[in-house]
Parts: sequence; structure tokens; C-alpha cells
Amino acid sequence: MRLFVYLSEILGRNVCDARNHVVGKIYDVSMRMSEEVFPRTESILVRRGFFKKEYAKIPIADCADLGRPLRLKISKEKVVFQEEKIRSTFSLCRHILDQQVVDINDQKVVRVNDVHLLRIDNQFHLAHVDIGIRGIIRRLEWNKMIDGVVRLFAPDSSFLTQEDFISWKNTQVLTIGRSHNVLRSNMARQKLSRIPPTQLAEIMEDLDVFEKVSLFKSFSVDMQHKVFTDMALQEKEELIDQLSNHDAVRIIENIPKDEATDLLLNLPKDKMMNLLRLMKRENAMILKKLLGFEKDSAGGLMTTEYLSLPEDSFVKDALQEIKNNVEKPVNLFHIYIVDNDNRLLGSTSLRNFINADLNTPITETCFSYRIFVRTDDDIEEVALILEKYKFSSIPVLNEDDILQGVITIDDVVEELISIAWKKYDGQL
Amino acid sequence: MKKFWETFKNSRPIKSLLLFLAVMGPGIITANVDNDAGGIATYSLAGAHFGYTLMWSLVPITLALILVQEMCARMAVATGKGLADLIRENYGVKVTFYLMFVLFLVNLTNVMAEFSGIAMSLELFHISRFLSVPVSAILVWMLVVKGTYKSVEKIFLFACLFYVAYIFSGFMAKPDWTDVLHQTLHPKMEWKLDYTIMLVGLVGTTIAPWMQFYLQSSIVEKGVTPEEYKHIKIDVVGGCILAPVIAFFIVVACGATLFQEGIMIESAQEAAVALKPLAGQYASVLFALGLFNASFFAASVLPLSTSYCVCEGMGWDAGIDKRFEEAPHFFWMYTFMIAIGAGVVLIPRFPLLGMMYFSQVGNGILLPFILIFMLKLINDKELMGEFANSKFLNIITWVAVAIIIALTLTMVVFALSNSDALFGIK
Repeated sequence: MRLFVYLSEILGRNVCDARNHVVGKIYDVSMRMSEEVFPRTESILVRRGFFKKEYAKIPIADCADLGRPLRLKISKEKVVFQEEKIRSTFSLCRHILDQQVVDINDQKVVRVNDVHLLRIDNQFHLAHVDIGIRGIIRRLEWNKMIDGVVRLFAPDSSFLTQEDFISWKNTQVLTIGRSHNVLRSNMARQKLSRIPPTQLAEIMEDLDVFEKVSLFKSFSVDMQHKVFTDMALQEKEELIDQLSNHDAVRIIENIPKDEATDLLLNLPKDKMMNLLRLMKRENAMILKKLLGFEKDSAGGLMTTEYLSLPEDSFVKDALQEIKNNVEKPVNLFHIYIVDNDNRLLGSTSLRNFINADLNTPITETCFSYRIFVRTDDDIEEVALILEKYKFSSIPVLNEDDILQGVITIDDVVEELISIAWKKYDGQL
Repeated sequence: MKKFWETFKNSRPIKSLLLFLAVMGPGIITANVDNDAGGIATYSLAGAHFGYTLMWSLVPITLALILVQEMCARMAVATGKGLADLIRENYGVKVTFYLMFVLFLVNLTNVMAEFSGIAMSLELFHISRFLSVPVSAILVWMLVVKGTYKSVEKIFLFACLFYVAYIFSGFMAKPDWTDVLHQTLHPKMEWKLDYTIMLVGLVGTTIAPWMQFYLQSSIVEKGVTPEEYKHIKIDVVGGCILAPVIAFFIVVACGATLFQEGIMIESAQEAAVALKPLAGQYASVLFALGLFNASFFAASVLPLSTSYCVCEGMGWDAGIDKRFEEAPHFFWMYTFMIAIGAGVVLIPRFPLLGMMYFSQVGNGILLPFILIFMLKLINDKELMGEFANSKFLNIITWVAVAIIIALTLTMVVFALSNSDALFGIK
């Protein structure tokens, strides 16, 4: 008895009952939705008739022998056929075979040519998916012929043994999520979380919108925020469009404020207002304020996440403030000193105080000059100042010197790249 | 000023116009690639050899084209997937493989037709095909692999204004408009072999199988959302009307000139006569430039779109932004199509016009099978949701499929019973 069988070999196989009468042919295999690493078969889906097709679902427990033909413990009469095709929530033909899955190890999207099943204890376990050329040839039923020819001319050819498998635990299904949440083993989820968010965002680009949503929903909440931040603007819009308002709001509230503004600006107006309404009051206030600024001005570029301290703080407070915010998407190197009205008094950087005595007043470590931009300054000005002082972020003030937010260098670079790209594109 | 622009931009009609312009493109581009070398050849032959007697067929063909292309657009918007992807996911690798194989062969003959068009047009300028074809093949290959195609596309599209020449020429030839209108509105079938072949060719060139894959992929690539669907619909329907209107005038221009004088098209010189009423002695220059643009445009699009959709269906990596080692199937297939497509044209005494014409007949034979898959897919409620076909649309489309199949069968029956006549048309 072979330990492994291919799905393509099982499909179309005859099913016989205990007295050797033919019951029908296998057309699909339904799997159990569970957290197992290698899911087990739940039932065999059988079809009979040619012009008038009928379908039946036979639990795996009723099978006596999974060989060829597949033999049942029960008699033919016990199998209930129905005219309507049986749709199971997780079946190999509908959800795995010929569909796209994410190969978690190689971090790319691949198409499944065949499914490799492990046969033990009168059970099929989903072991590997086959993505290789041999899988295609097997499905076309040319494998014997082609293998024969190859063996004749090159008996040692690596082609004969080279299977292109991905272990089931390293794949992420995309199709089931359309209507259900994909249940995955913890192992797979952990593996998925080890892929860098940037890479995941890139994988998402290869998928259609439903697959995107499905994959996205399988991430942990924290991961969702990171991946979302790294996605291209158009992709973000598409995803927000598909997610429930509740999820959309949660994501927008948890990504950096400047990214959130960019996204909101690109949404249809009613959608934007709707999302703002559903947000926490303070978040909505901040975003509305940011939305009022021109896109390429300092106000439009800035984010409202920054570290600030009152005038009477000490170096130890500054260090503590940095430690408290390590997890947040905020520039940790610059701390701004403000008064009670949030008016900017000065700024300091980690470099200035990291070696200072813990009880030194923070104002003593400040730069001797105040460097800032105004909300209506344009991006070129911001870029020039950042470059001049070699800062990684710069405060943005309104006319009354009140600190509105900061611009970090990556946002400027991002914007400049897109401007440069547009210019370059125009020259082509 | 800025404020004014903002309010102007956000006013309702302007906003929808801007939205339309943003999603516009795929339909119009597909329509223009549709009038390729094979198209010009087939329409010219139809007008020159049959006068206006085939004009009536353009009406149902246009309707069918709109129907089919709108279905493609709808599938693209509802599923976000290409046609090859959908066929693979719903019918398995076996069906997909054989379908892709046939599509590949038929499209290969179309590529041969495009290079035949290049050879024919430049021979009017006395440029040998042994120079023009290899140079064009290399140019096409570079254009796409080096990624400059997108910027050149606009030039191609602009050059498609050449078709306007046929409209003017059609008018200036002073055709008998009552006869033209009468023939257009009164369907009359002639049960003859060459007539049926021509009908299949007309169907195949106007509703080419590759167009469905190409249009659907371009809309998917554009990322059109269901809300923007009505805009893309205008674009697609617009394109579907534009292409046959040009076909109409090509047939009229040829019918009013070549058919009247009893000239049978055997080479580019004769085909160019159709433009004489407009361009006089410069007719062949105009014709050559137009044919060259059409052929070159389609020669850049066809091998690329074929390789894309075959790779998509088979699950191989594809994309011109990938490196050769990352997507070997894709690049090999692409290179192969251009090399073979251009190579066969160099065979001595290769029948250029015959290639251009019969490749379109091949399209016509393959078309109903693609349509059957499309119809089955678009009726899958689970896949399409609210975008699934209505009963009414289903009936018309199935009727269209039945007619095309019947036409092909009639042609085969005629051909078998009268195999001599098959080679009557060059």
C-alpha cells in the first residue's frame, strides 16, 4: 500500500459498497475544518449518473478501504443521493486544486496543480500541494507516456524524481475566506507572522481583491496594521472598500496619521465622512485637522505623532518617554519642548542627551536655535531644511508658533520620489 | 483660481466626466488593436470580392461584439481575475491546457498575419521583407522587454486616426448609398463556400478570441471597482461600435472602387485602390502607412497578451517587469511567437494576404468555444454575485453562439463537398 496518493488519482475512482456493487465515482473530497497541521478528510463526495447527475456525501468513517476501488462498510442503499451538487465548506477540488495559494516559505503566490495526500489509518491527510510541471503532466494524464520517453533517453534525468511540493503547513489558502474565516493551525499562523510586512504587502499585490481580503483577515490585528501601512495607496483603497466599516476604522486609527490622511483624501467623500464619524472623537479631530491642509504642504505631510515634554522636565523623563513609545510608529530621536499651550520652546535629540546626567534639565540639552517649518511651507522647503540640518524629523508650527505636528524624512522622500517619478515618466 | 478649479472639478457632470476619462482606455485600445492586419485584409477582401452583399452581417456582428465584450468587462469587475485564471479555477488544468494550446496556435497564426502585414506594407515602399520583417521583429521584442511599450502605445493609438481615411474615401467614392443601406438592413445569405468562409472570417476578425482575454486583463489591471463599472461600460461599448464602423467604411470604400471595377485583391497595390478617391496617386502611401501601423501595433500586443494569458492559466510566473530567470516560460513563449511569427513570412512565396485572411477564419472557428466558457462562467452566481447574466442576455448570447457554430459547420460541409473552391481565394 502506498503511503502517499495524489488527488488526481483519486478523482473519478469507483466507489463500491460492501457487496461490491458500484455506488458512483469520487468527484471531490471534503476536509475537516480544524486547527490540525495536516487536516483530515471529513467525507468523500460521490457522483453517479451521466445525463441526470446525482450527488452524495459519504463520511470517511463509512469507508472500509481507501484503495482502488474505494470500498464502503455500508450497503449501496444506505447512501443518500440528491440532485443538487453538494458544496462543502472546505473541499480539495473547490478550494485547493487549481487555485492560488501563498507559499509562506518562498513568500510568493503559486497555483496548485495537484494535491498530495497522506494515507494512514484509513484516513487521507492533506500533506502537500504540488506546484510543479509534473503535477500538470499528471493531471493531463500524460505522465506514463512522458516518463516512459524520458526514461528511454535519459534514465537518470532529474525530471523523473523532481517533485515541486509545498508542505501544507507552509501554505496559506486564499479562496475559503470569501465566505468563512480560514481556520489555520497556529504553526502556520506563526510562520506567516515571520514574513516581513513589506514582503506581505508585496504578495498582496499579486492577488485579486477577494483573495486580498481573505489573506488580510488571516493576519493578527497588529500585523494587519503593519502590512496595511506598507501597501500601495491604490491597494489600500481597494482593501478599505472591501472591509467592513468597523475594520476599516480600526485600521485607519492605528496606522500613522499621515498615511491615514493620504488614504482618506483618496476615498470618495461620503465614504471618508462616514469613516470619520465612526472614529473615536479625538482621532477624528486630528485627522480632520490634517485633512484641511494642502497635500504637498508641510501641513499635509506632517503626522501628529511625536514626543514632547514640558519645559521643567529632566533627561530621565526624556529617556522614559522614549522607552514608553518604543512600540509606536513615532520618531524616537527628537523630543520637542512645549509650554502649556503646545507652543514650541525648543527641540533636542537623543544624541544631545543620551550621555548627559539623568538629572540635567532637558532644556539644557536643546539646540541653541529653533528649527521649524510652517504648515503652509511647501515640500521643497521642508526637504531643504531637513537636508541642511541633517535632521530625521522637523516640527511644524502654525502662525502662533503652536506645534501642530512633525514631518519625518521618510515621508518627504516618499513624496519626492513620486514627484521625481512623475517628471521622469513625462520624459518618456 | 484654485478654489474655482476645485468647485469646477467637484461639480457632478465634470466629476463623472473625469472619472470616465480615468477609467477609459481598455475598450478603445482593444477596438483599435482589433482592426489589425488581418482585419484590414478581411474587410478589404469582403468589399472587393462581394461588394455590399456582406454589409448586413456587420449589424449582428456589432451587437454580438458589444454583448461579448460587455460580459468580459463585467467578469473583470466582479471577480478581479483574467479570463484564463477563471477558466483554470473553474474547469481545471486539463481543459485549460488544451484550450490554451489551441488559443496559442490560433494567436500564432494571427501574429504571422501581423508580420505579413508589415512585410506587405513596406514592400509598397520597395523595402524587402528580408529587411523589414526581422528589423520589426527585433523592434517589437525590444519595445516590450525594455518596457517602453506603454509610452509608445499613445503613438500607435494616435496613428489609428488613419482609419478616418477610409471614412472619407468611402464618401468620396460616391457609393450608391441606397444600395449600401438596403444591403445593410436586409440580411440575405448566399449559400456558397467562399461566401460562408468570408462570413466566418468577418466574425472571427471582429470578435477575435484573443480580444476577450486582452480586454478582461486590461480592465483587471486597471483595478476598476464595481462603482466605476458604468464608466468602463461606456468605454467598452464605445470601442465595440467604433471598430465595426471603421469596418463598415472599409467595406464601402472597397466595394465602391475595387468591386465596381472588378479588381480582385491579390496584393497591397490593389487593396490600396480603395483609398484612391481620397488620396489619388498617394493612395498606396497612405495605405502602406496605415497597414504598417495597424500591423506593428497588433504585433506588439498579441504575442504579449497571449504569453500572459497562457502563463496565467498554467500558473507560471509572468510579467515584463520580471527577470528572465524568474519567468522563463513567459519570456520563451513571447520570444517564440515573435520569432516564428516573423520567421514564416520570410519563406519564399509565402502567401501574405492568404495568411492575413485565413488566420481570421481560424479566429471565427475558435470563437464559439471561448464564448461557451464565458457564458458558463458568467452564469455562476457564486462567482459573479449580482453581476451574473440576466436570462434575456443568456438567450441572445446562446443564440449567437449557436449561429456561429452553425456557420462554421456549414463552411466545413461546403469545404468537404467542394475542396477545389477552397483554394480559389488567395
